[in-house]
Amino acid sequence: MMISTGDSQIKATYDAIVIGSGISGGWAAMELCKKGLKVLLLERGRNVEHVKDYPTAMLNPWDFDLRGDTPAKYKAENPVQSQGTNAGNAHFFVNDTEHPYIQQKPFHWFRGYQVGGRSLTWGRQCYRLSDLDFEANLKEGVAVDWPIRYKDIEPWYGYVERFIGVSGKKENLSQLPDGDYLPALDLNCIENHLDQSIRKNSHDRLLTIARVANLTRGWDSRGPCMNRNLCSRGCPFGGYFSSNSSTIPAAMQTGNLTIRPYSVVAEVLLDEQKQKAKGVRIIDTISKESFEYYAKIVFINASTIATAGILLNSKSHRFPNGFGNDSGELGHNLMDHHSAAGAQGAYEGYKDMYYKGRRPCGFLIPRFRNLKGGEGLDFTRGYNIQGHGERSEWMDTRTAGGFGADFKNTLTHPGHWTVWMAGWGECLPYHDNMISLNNTHKDSWGLPLINIDFSFRENENKMMKDISKSSAEMLSAAGFTNIETFNYGKPGGDTVHEMGTARMGRDPKTSVLNGNNQIHAAKNVFVTDGSCMTSSASQNPSLTYMALTARACDFAVEELKKGNI
Amino acid sequence: MIKMNVIFRHLNIIFTITYPLFVNRKKAIQSLLAITAVGVSSVSVYECAGTGKPVSIEALPQKKQLLAELAETIIPRTDTPGAKDAKVEEFIIKMIKEIDPKTQRNFLAGLGSLEKYTIDKYDHPFTDCTAEQKNAVMKHFESKAVYSIGILNKISNKLLGTPFFTQLKDLTVEGYCTSQLGATQGMAYDYIPVKFNALVPLQKNQKAWATK
Repeated sequence: MMISTGDSQIKATYDAIVIGSGISGGWAAMELCKKGLKVLLLERGRNVEHVKDYPTAMLNPWDFDLRGDTPAKYKAENPVQSQGTNAGNAHFFVNDTEHPYIQQKPFHWFRGYQVGGRSLTWGRQCYRLSDLDFEANLKEGVAVDWPIRYKDIEPWYGYVERFIGVSGKKENLSQLPDGDYLPALDLNCIENHLDQSIRKNSHDRLLTIARVANLTRGWDSRGPCMNRNLCSRGCPFGGYFSSNSSTIPAAMQTGNLTIRPYSVVAEVLLDEQKQKAKGVRIIDTISKESFEYYAKIVFINASTIATAGILLNSKSHRFPNGFGNDSGELGHNLMDHHSAAGAQGAYEGYKDMYYKGRRPCGFLIPRFRNLKGGEGLDFTRGYNIQGHGERSEWMDTRTAGGFGADFKNTLTHPGHWTVWMAGWGECLPYHDNMISLNNTHKDSWGLPLINIDFSFRENENKMMKDISKSSAEMLSAAGFTNIETFNYGKPGGDTVHEMGTARMGRDPKTSVLNGNNQIHAAKNVFVTDGSCMTSSASQNPSLTYMALTARACDFAVEELKKGNI
Repeated sequence: MIKMNVIFRHLNIIFTITYPLFVNRKKAIQSLLAITAVGVSSVSVYECAGTGKPVSIEALPQKKQLLAELAETIIPRTDTPGAKDAKVEEFIIKMIKEIDPKTQRNFLAGLGSLEKYTIDKYDHPFTDCTAEQKNAVMKHFESKAVYSIGILNKISNKLLGTPFFTQLKDLTVEGYCTSQLGATQGMAYDYIPVKFNALVPLQKNQKAWATK
């Protein structure tokens, strides 16, 4: 592997360029390298090396200056990122002041500008989409039809799961297909209690352990997971999958990879005669110099909003409104799951039971709404409920009244069992939920700032009401007390599942990408991050991005061999 | 982004309680404003009297011993270390500098009025109080900070910042529970659990885990 920050050691021409080193870019780099292509991987942020660059990974709470908290100055400079970060992981998120964007409506854009991107801090949930999801737009006449079905992606889901290592349990559900799993982590007694109640009271619901990219045994010379639940600091044990721990080292091993950090892509360059991309122009974020790199194929994996931004900024005679934007859909149809509504409750019982270790995941109640239609609900699509059961500890019991020895006793001993759960719900693709380039404001590198105009609508709001109601009902039926429903009223972006801004489709007039993630009008450009999503489904999406990436890489190399691109 | 971090999640849970009670909000704010008006006027009386002034942020480190005694009253040494053993006062001083301006103002004002209240009542500073006297002073300030109607606390904290006692208790708890002594002796701390065991019978005098 080579890492370069200047132009002297770096060639100008490669077989492939990959833009972005996050969860899908890492996969693109690895797959293309393994297939023998010389790959230039461009990353706008700094390099982060596995283990070496995880400075907080082994720290105790008392090793931090302000324990878990971040300083007031950090919060003031980072009004968005600070809402999702703590002292242990703040260094893996951008500085909001250095990297501004324009919220036309409130939207939290969490970003990780470094090698590995947000794969370092992701939630590690791995769920397959099903034909219930792939067919939904067509059946309901919403937006456009997905150009693929489950059978097209199924082998690639397995391919990815077997490589990254996913722990989980098979449940034989058509709406949430089973994958290839490592042994599942266990549910605790309160979660088992809730599961039994749910299965007893309904034929179409169950509770299962989350399917997560945390290794329950050694895998691909990584792991196993040590059950510290500090994943977002980076794991020195390689206990979970990230680009840094897995795909990038594998790509390096081939000898075909060059990484260029500090390289923000300004535009994709078009070869007007061949109607293909010839390469990219980047700006070195330190020297602010421009460089051009050329390749036979370009994979864009800069993350949904940034990918659309790069393409919109790539203007030419052929593409006056942005690269590949004949349809006018580029930047539109932005989606993010909502995860603000749910319920919590306490349970009097199991007082003699506890657990040991910090399981790095919770549970999942797979989608049970609108599986067949005709349920008489006032919303379409559905949600997966995610949650966790635990005994109250000091972070919960601190609200107890009083002070002194009795208070201390309450604080330092396990309290009652509680369950917290919320629905991760599908968001429909609305044409006017969109990003665009700002014509007046530029960033430090002279690139236009991105406007984000996004809101949840009636269908999402009605679904949130149902999530709270159904969550409370399940808790109540299982004998929980002090049940409270909630809706945190979080803005878009908070679930960090933004997607849809360069959607796949069958018709070049209404979509940006075809069924192989190629730009309709420039077949050597592939987009395989979240921007390709035609609908959001309700599953955490990273596994799907990885599977689509591996599939598109396989296709791209075949097409190269055939001389088609 | 489930469990992205624990603090984030717990902040959310605080908001939680506010939402379902939204209907009562207007009424609650009205009663709160009435209470506030009384509170504000009584503060200005203190200031005119020239005593019980707010402690300045620069002078806060000089109140270390007082803060240590206050924290110890909240989490005393028992068969396990207390707040003073864990040097919670140092954490409080550090955190008050980092806290939102309203809450910082409340804290510094509260600390000043606690000093005055103690001297007026007992003729000696808090640090010289007997255990009973310390408890009585704390009870007084707890009653000033906490409304019996839960929703009022939430709205009050949002409008006026967290009250003195609430903030003192919060920082004491956090400082103690995230300290090495508090986490490893006051509670149970598992640095590298290795395995997750979902079902463990509770041991006699089982301590709660210090981290989630």
